[in-house]
Amino acid sequence: MAGEMLKGHLDMIVLAALSAGAAHGYAVIEEIRRRSGQAFDLPEGTVYPVLHRLEHAGLLASRWVTAESGRQRRVYSLTRRGHRALAEQRATWKEFADAIGGLLGGTRPSKNPA
Amino acid sequence: MRSEVEDHLREAASAAGGTPEAERVAVARFGEPRAIAGRLAAAALAKRAREVGVAAAAVIVFAYLAMQARLAWYALTQWGLSEEARAVSAMVASIDRVAFWLAVLLGAGTVWLAYRERLRRFRLFCGLATGALGASVLCDGILTALRLREALWSINAVLPVFSIAIEVACAAALALRLRDIVRRLAATADLLDG
Repeated sequence: MAGEMLKGHLDMIVLAALSAGAAHGYAVIEEIRRRSGQAFDLPEGTVYPVLHRLEHAGLLASRWVTAESGRQRRVYSLTRRGHRALAEQRATWKEFADAIGGLLGGTRPSKNPA
Repeated sequence: MRSEVEDHLREAASAAGGTPEAERVAVARFGEPRAIAGRLAAAALAKRAREVGVAAAAVIVFAYLAMQARLAWYALTQWGLSEEARAVSAMVASIDRVAFWLAVLLGAGTVWLAYRERLRRFRLFCGLATGALGASVLCDGILTALRLREALWSINAVLPVFSIAIEVACAAALALRLRDIVRRLAATADLLDG
């Protein structure tokens, strides 16, 4: 999928990937790949600036743990603000997707979707 | 960051078999290092810009309180000025007032731009706010010097001298932090454009 289409939505994608539970950067990338059915195949390093920026914004929190390999691993999780931000972005996205779907499908989107 | 990236690459290589070829693929899939470093630098810079914006606001508030404290002190100690010095003092005080309120407005703009991550405009506003604050602190120094010139050095001079010294130190520290931000902004722009 075109990289430009993803750029504006990376924050939402990363928040959604972490909604299932705490994960480190590699696991976040794998989760994105899995849940998107391999449609989103980002350069793996691009997730780190997003994770750090979301943490600075208070939407994520991180902590260092010791992985099974013995390496130090940084694990990220959604904060309460992060959960709220994700819920808002989901609602906005649904509205947007309904509107685009209506335009492309030639039907009017319902004003009060179920 | 280095530990994080190393952990990522080792895990990616291990998941693909742990061979030298798997390591090469893991590094290639990680992405263009300059681009990633640029985005990380931009995120870190935005955080520093917010800190400098808040520091600028704090220095401006301190400068205001220090000015008010000196005025209250002069009134308390009945520390007057000669006719000649009063004329110069009035002119310098007017310039001081304009410079100070300009620093307040620009400082507020600086903080707002820092939180909006508009870093290029932030640099301009922060520079202008620091310049205006510097002009205000310089005027404060001149006004204090006029007072000290008129009176013999005494215990009454301790508070004004002490407060102006701290004002100058705070303004200088802010200018140094701004210089650091400007340097990092140039380096980040270089990484992102490179």
